[in-house]
Amino acid sequence: MFGIPFVALATGASLALTPTREWRIRPVGALRYAGYFIQQSVLGGIDVSMRAIKPSLPIDPLILRYRMRLVPEYARVLFADTVSLLPGTLSSGFEDDTMTLHVLDCELDVEQSLRDVEERVADVFGLDLSVGGGELAAIDGGAVGEYR
Amino acid sequence: MIGWISLALIAVGAFFFLAGSTGVLRFPDVYTRLHALTKADNLGLGFVVLGLSLRADSWIVVLKMLLIWSLVIVAGATASHLVAEAARMSNVPPWRKRS
Amino acid sequence: MKMVLIGFASVLMLTVIAGLIRVERGPNPADRMLAAQLFGTTGVAILLLLAEAMEIPALRDVALVFALLAAMAAVAFVKRAWHPGPHEKGDPS
Repeated sequence: MFGIPFVALATGASLALTPTREWRIRPVGALRYAGYFIQQSVLGGIDVSMRAIKPSLPIDPLILRYRMRLVPEYARVLFADTVSLLPGTLSSGFEDDTMTLHVLDCELDVEQSLRDVEERVADVFGLDLSVGGGELAAIDGGAVGEYR
Repeated sequence: MIGWISLALIAVGAFFFLAGSTGVLRFPDVYTRLHALTKADNLGLGFVVLGLSLRADSWIVVLKMLLIWSLVIVAGATASHLVAEAARMSNVPPWRKRS
Repeated sequence: MKMVLIGFASVLMLTVIAGLIRVERGPNPADRMLAAQLFGTTGVAILLLLAEAMEIPALRDVALVFALLAAMAAVAFVKRAWHPGPHEKGDPS
């Protein structure tokens, strides 16, 4: 209890000292994101747990690249962290405008769920997604057409 | 009654921890193991925190546990991204079903 | 109730032992690192359960520190101990 004012002070000081605070969080978007995140991370945990304990070990992994529509760095970080908790996807690096991700089962509709996450993240920061992108760019050692 | 719900939630949490570790042992490469670890263990911790919150004496305790959980989520997701990236950089081959 | 909570903490210890097997088997440094991450998350859960069961609130602060250290350990590992850089195509072992 005693520490609360100090925590508030430290947080305020830290925010004030950050040179460029370009981002702005929209409370409604953040709430929508939180609901989506909780739902999807529960599904993600159940999905991977079932795959892990089933005797047949039903996985068919693949590494994909996705061309992001989100431009700012902070939004991409939130995007990557969210993707890693979703069913069957794990972010594993950035290259220019693409994010590399490992997919646990190539039967999953990864493109659609990535587009969904991007829209939720854009909603949190009030960003515009009409810059293009939003599709799978390539897979490791092959073209997207080979996917599935 | 609340005591039982709390225990049930903690049991569900323990199940996800067990499943996560099963994945870490059974999955064929580092990338698939990271899937099991980040997703199952974070959910397991979430259920344990939820279960313990029902028995907590004060809101401060609940808030502290929620803070710890969110910290573990952010840390876990970021760490798994970095470990997977490092594995790719040093050419750890991803396991493929058909190859 | 107290014993049940301690029982659950023991079950979680078993999952940590599973992680130890993975550390032992490897086969590459990343596998060992992810086992360490498993200790972090599971350790936090065990500490929270024990804090409640044994009525030692200070264990929650230990859990908080644990969570922070697990994050630092992973970042330190990737940045310092095992980061060949984007151009070096090294041997994974």
